[in-house]
Amino acid sequence: MKRLAVGAVVVASALALLPGAGAAFQEEGTLRIGGMWALSGPAAYIGSSSRGLAQLAVDEINEAGGVSIQGKRVKLQLYAYDDACKAEEGLTVVRRLADSDRVLFSLGPTCSSVAEPVFGILQKRLDDPADTGLQFLFFTDTAIKFGLARISPWAFRNVGNEPEMFDLTFKLVRERHPELRTAAVAYESDFAHSVSTWKGAVEPALKKYGYQVLEVVEWRFEDTEFGAQTTKLRKANADLLVMLTHTFSTCGAVKEFKRQRVRSKLMIGITSAASTETMVGCGQAVEGMIIPTNFAAVTPRARALAEKAWARYKADSNLHSVPAYENIYAIKSIVEKVGIRNEPGTLLQDRRKVRDALARLGTFQGVLGPIKMNGDDDPVKPRDVDKAVILVQARNAQWTVWWQPPEMGKK
Amino acid sequence: MSALLLDVVQQTINGLMYGAFYALLGIGFTLFFGVMKKFNLAYGPTVMAGIYLGLLPLYVWKAPIWVVVLTCVAGAVLVGLLVEVACFRYVAPGNELAPLMTTIGMLILIQELVVLLTHAAPFEYPPVFGDESLELGPFLVRPDYLAILLAGLLFVGLLYLLVEHTAFGRAMRAVAENPRVAQLLGVDVSRVNTLTFVLTSAVGGASGFLVAMTFGALQPGIAGWMTIKGLVVIVIGGLGSIPGAVLAGLLLGVVEFQALWFLGITWRDIFAYLLLFAFLVLRPAGLLGRAAT
Amino acid sequence: MEYVVAVLSIIGIHALLGLSVYLVAITGQLSFGQQGFYAIGAYLAGMATALWNWSLGPALALGTVAAGVVGFLVGFPALRVRGLYLGIATLGFGEIVRLGFLNLKYTKTIGGRLVGPNGAEGFRHVTYVYERGITQGQYLLVILLALALVIVLISLLERSRLGVQFRAVEEDEIAAAVAGVHVTAVKVLAFTLGGMVAGLGGALFVHYSTYIDHEMVALPLAVSAVTYAMLGGLGSCWGTVLGAAVLISLTEGLRVAKEFRLIVYGALIILVMTLRPRGLVDERVVLWLGGWMRRRRWRLDAP
Repeated sequence: MKRLAVGAVVVASALALLPGAGAAFQEEGTLRIGGMWALSGPAAYIGSSSRGLAQLAVDEINEAGGVSIQGKRVKLQLYAYDDACKAEEGLTVVRRLADSDRVLFSLGPTCSSVAEPVFGILQKRLDDPADTGLQFLFFTDTAIKFGLARISPWAFRNVGNEPEMFDLTFKLVRERHPELRTAAVAYESDFAHSVSTWKGAVEPALKKYGYQVLEVVEWRFEDTEFGAQTTKLRKANADLLVMLTHTFSTCGAVKEFKRQRVRSKLMIGITSAASTETMVGCGQAVEGMIIPTNFAAVTPRARALAEKAWARYKADSNLHSVPAYENIYAIKSIVEKVGIRNEPGTLLQDRRKVRDALARLGTFQGVLGPIKMNGDDDPVKPRDVDKAVILVQARNAQWTVWWQPPEMGKK
Repeated sequence: MSALLLDVVQQTINGLMYGAFYALLGIGFTLFFGVMKKFNLAYGPTVMAGIYLGLLPLYVWKAPIWVVVLTCVAGAVLVGLLVEVACFRYVAPGNELAPLMTTIGMLILIQELVVLLTHAAPFEYPPVFGDESLELGPFLVRPDYLAILLAGLLFVGLLYLLVEHTAFGRAMRAVAENPRVAQLLGVDVSRVNTLTFVLTSAVGGASGFLVAMTFGALQPGIAGWMTIKGLVVIVIGGLGSIPGAVLAGLLLGVVEFQALWFLGITWRDIFAYLLLFAFLVLRPAGLLGRAAT
Repeated sequence: MEYVVAVLSIIGIHALLGLSVYLVAITGQLSFGQQGFYAIGAYLAGMATALWNWSLGPALALGTVAAGVVGFLVGFPALRVRGLYLGIATLGFGEIVRLGFLNLKYTKTIGGRLVGPNGAEGFRHVTYVYERGITQGQYLLVILLALALVIVLISLLERSRLGVQFRAVEEDEIAAAVAGVHVTAVKVLAFTLGGMVAGLGGALFVHYSTYIDHEMVALPLAVSAVTYAMLGGLGSCWGTVLGAAVLISLTEGLRVAKEFRLIVYGALIILVMTLRPRGLVDERVVLWLGGWMRRRRWRLDAP
């Protein structure tokens, strides 16, 4: 009995490796697309929102008839996998998507630490036979660490540009509150995104707009005790408090600020914190915090999307998840314009066609307005986008708009 | 007082307060090890499960705080019993490493279950003891940490009474000394084991409630972190010694806070492990443990 | 097919990690710190090819040897602690290595890119394999070759007198010492060899993934490493290889369970360890297999 049970486990795990049967795409009437997100582990709340918004786009397109390929309407089929925010899983999942499931392109990953190795194994030089990197297209919605899309010409991202977002933030704060002169910063020293945002986006922006940095404190992503760092911040008594920390530690820290009566005139937060979870977790404690983001429900279309995503998929609409929705629509229109064969034998050419079209895309429609995709030869941010930045502020446990581009909201 | 001295004293106060939190974790671990002579790596997740179960009366039923406390305790006890059945009861005796692995499996399972049920979203416990620090002269003291310190001392006192002055306590000590002889003398060893799980889980649940109040936001990762800290504390304190766990927790807290203040975050973690190494090398029995035979 | 190759590559690398736990465990020392040696191998081999232009072979050797040296150094203080104390101490060691790499910054600008370990931001662009037209399948052969070599060496070790001494130390240190076994040498050797094998695994990994950072060598990897060895059983090194193969296949195969994947995974670990507390390939299985093979040979020899 014991041996049988154990034998069954071993056999089951061996069977697990068999790749799924590959059917003919155009024949079966589907266009396969993929996504790899953090659906388990601490980043699950971000990944599951992206997956929800992706599924929403797929369902909407399918309900409206599907994608038009070679004169026929085919339905989208989403292959979604969990990479648990782990490199090893990302490395196997990407090959499953590329080779077993044979999807046209993939969304995700959620975590920059997964995007690093996964983009790292992609082909670096197009048309170079000596380059055995994977020829597989990514159109990322979340992994925001600056510079990831440079790793490979197959990696495209529709994510926020943090250096520009924080430049805008401090420029506006300077304009609206010229009396604020000094700043103190807190960041998570073991979390790559936090560190690169501080070094690459905030430190230069603070310098550019003439703020004096009085104190920089650090803690760990998983820390729950912030007494010592808060005391240092209290002593610094800066006008601005820049919190480049993610939801869990932000909530903990701002409560400690209240305890030790640290009063800053203005708090600035990191992009990822502008989500519903922060409100649920911190509520009143983050009152007044300003965060640059790319998505807020400021137009009727955005509001409708956010409501639908929550009602049908329990997915939060934020700057990390809404791009998944936008990317699927963008690829749909590319596919319809460029014309792919959508057959298993032409998969490599189809991916390449879509890749090249994406590089030449220029401007496409996002939920809040136009988004510009930079091409391969952009010197600073190839294959990353320029899109509108909104600044939101926490007021009465809600994110309200503190500043939006003048053109927005008129649609 | 000079500024430096003020800092040292403040961080010592903080360290002692926070150390009480480590002490609470250690008490449960060491109590378990003392009787069962095994490590329960699923203790951290048990405490975490109690904490998360307490969210139900808090948010869904909007119940008063004492209901929340009871739920934490009851929840932890239920999960503790589940751990006993799943991870310990059916493992054939004589295999010391197997319970290590089954409790690791349980740690993974419980942590993922919590992530699944909560979408890894942050939740908070209300600050029952107020949300401003008390001012004692030039020093700030967190009232919730103070509560934890007092609770820790209370638990130690109650456990002392239980262990030294009750029949059950005698039975526990007998099983801890020598289970076979205890059995021969008429002690129901398996009942004592089960009740030990109940007791440590109850302590865990109560500790969990107090500790959860101090967190700004709950996250599923606390299970693993509590487990590591708990293990470090009981090794420094001496396996099986409850007062040792308390002292070790306080010591660890003070060392960490001083290191953090003066040297920064990386050194805080390094010093914590250096403290562990120092004890392992210089005094393996720990602060108050019996010398290893 | 590419997917299977990817899974096998990860299995091969993780099998090496598991074998490093195995080598130390068969002398009775349970180490939760082998991921520290893995990290040393990964970072050093990565720096060799990406920063100093070494070729792959010497880089792998560097990673292996460096991790072995650290293993040797760790082996001595490890003598002072036993049982789960040692487990906790090695866990601390692994964490200190991780924290060290968290703070390591050593970058150069090569070909317009910033290359090298960059603290919390990680170490990317270890692209040696992919730049030279080596396919994933070919690299899998490299990994399997390394694994095969290690398995052969471990098997030879186990059949030799030294192997008996290893097991004797596990069984009863004092009796072994009385019987003339140099216990200190055996235990330190185990840590050295374990370090080398883990270092090799890390060196192979960084060239497969092109990227390494401190989060990838943290406690979850420690737990995985120990789980491969414990689940596999300490009867034979094949047990660990099987353990890694089963657990990683489960991680992939359970994707059908979607959100419940890790819950089922945890439950399966509990189940297997309850049904077979000494692992899948424990001493009894090895004896039974040995007996079966002897019986087969006997039948073939019979006229």
